[in-house]
Amino acid sequence: MVRLSDLHPVESEHLRKRAEAMPAIGPGKWISPPALDQATVAIVSTAGLHRRIDPPFAVGSLDYRIIPGDIQFDDLVLSHISANFDRSAFGQNPNIVFPIDRLRELASAGEIGGVARWHYSFMGAMPDPSQFEETGEEIGRLMAQDGVDVAFLIPI
Amino acid sequence: MSEAVVPPRALWVPFALGRPLGAVDDAEFQKNVMRTAFGLLDTAEEPTIEDYQIEAPDTGLSETWSCPLNLTSESSGSLVERLLAEVARLRPWAIETRRQRGRTLFGISGAEEDDIDELVRVFAAIAETGEVTSEPVTDEITWAFEMPLLLRHIADDLRTFYHEAIAAQPGDNAPDHDALNRWIFSETVLGETLVLVADGLTKASDSPMAQLVRGLLIPEGHYRGGSAFPKETKFPIEPAT
Repeated sequence: MVRLSDLHPVESEHLRKRAEAMPAIGPGKWISPPALDQATVAIVSTAGLHRRIDPPFAVGSLDYRIIPGDIQFDDLVLSHISANFDRSAFGQNPNIVFPIDRLRELASAGEIGGVARWHYSFMGAMPDPSQFEETGEEIGRLMAQDGVDVAFLIPI
Repeated sequence: MSEAVVPPRALWVPFALGRPLGAVDDAEFQKNVMRTAFGLLDTAEEPTIEDYQIEAPDTGLSETWSCPLNLTSESSGSLVERLLAEVARLRPWAIETRRQRGRTLFGISGAEEDDIDELVRVFAAIAETGEVTSEPVTDEITWAFEMPLLLRHIADDLRTFYHEAIAAQPGDNAPDHDALNRWIFSETVLGETLVLVADGLTKASDSPMAQLVRGLLIPEGHYRGGSAFPKETKFPIEPAT
């Protein structure tokens, strides 16, 4: 997340008000995963990412898209609704938003145990994150089935 | 916002929106951010928000970047003619970026890469007529969205075309988000067109979705000197059917 002071004043004020109005929802159940070099890691993005064949996200989308662990970047696009972030970095190299190559490298080096077979993407910019409870629990069950130990949540 | 959500382990990073791992094409910097986040698995014993202390390296992003092409020369003719001429001048560079990357982010609206001119004709017509509720008629494109949300994604496809065009141009400097927006809205026909489309959305005052889409169309601070968002924004608003 950026410093509010680095944003356009209108955007900064908008985000400050959004943060103040955001209802508290945590904390969740505390879970301790296995040691990192034994842990399988999945990415959960809120950047509105999806494969080109998938339906794009709509305003207020609460659903998610699956991203396979062997995704190639020419198949990965972004339909996030906000006009207030820099998309050029993602265009240059998607790892800055969806670091699948970095996970593969960390797994090859033995720093993490492995990379999940499936990763997940949501549309961010949702004022009330409690609305994601149902789909959040659903991907939690899917990740458990996939042997995932650590969910690496990356906002945009 | 993380304080409201109370994630079990969170790393706050001082990076620009759109760059959550800080530095493009710097694998080691990105991995160090990830290692620090993963390190919280060992150290945190209760919900924790830790600050990342390392700033992103200088990656050549410039607040003062300027486009070498003088696009303001496209000043005669109708809006669609001027926008087509501007796109034609950028096209060789957009093609070059796609060749180098082997991919493009263009096409979320439903347009194919070869549909750029048709996309320009459609968007300029909407800007000139102010018709923001009826789906644009075209034989060439199958739209992926309904109106008025479609406008936001046509705009993004056009912006993507421009961003990809300047990415291949020579020089080590690349524009940051603010410089990109200043260029689009002060030096291009596209910026002029975006504001006209936003004006059309303003006039559709009986449609809350149209007012919301205006905020999704224009970055903060670039709509007639202020915010394009309506004063009260409620989510979610289902797209009109």
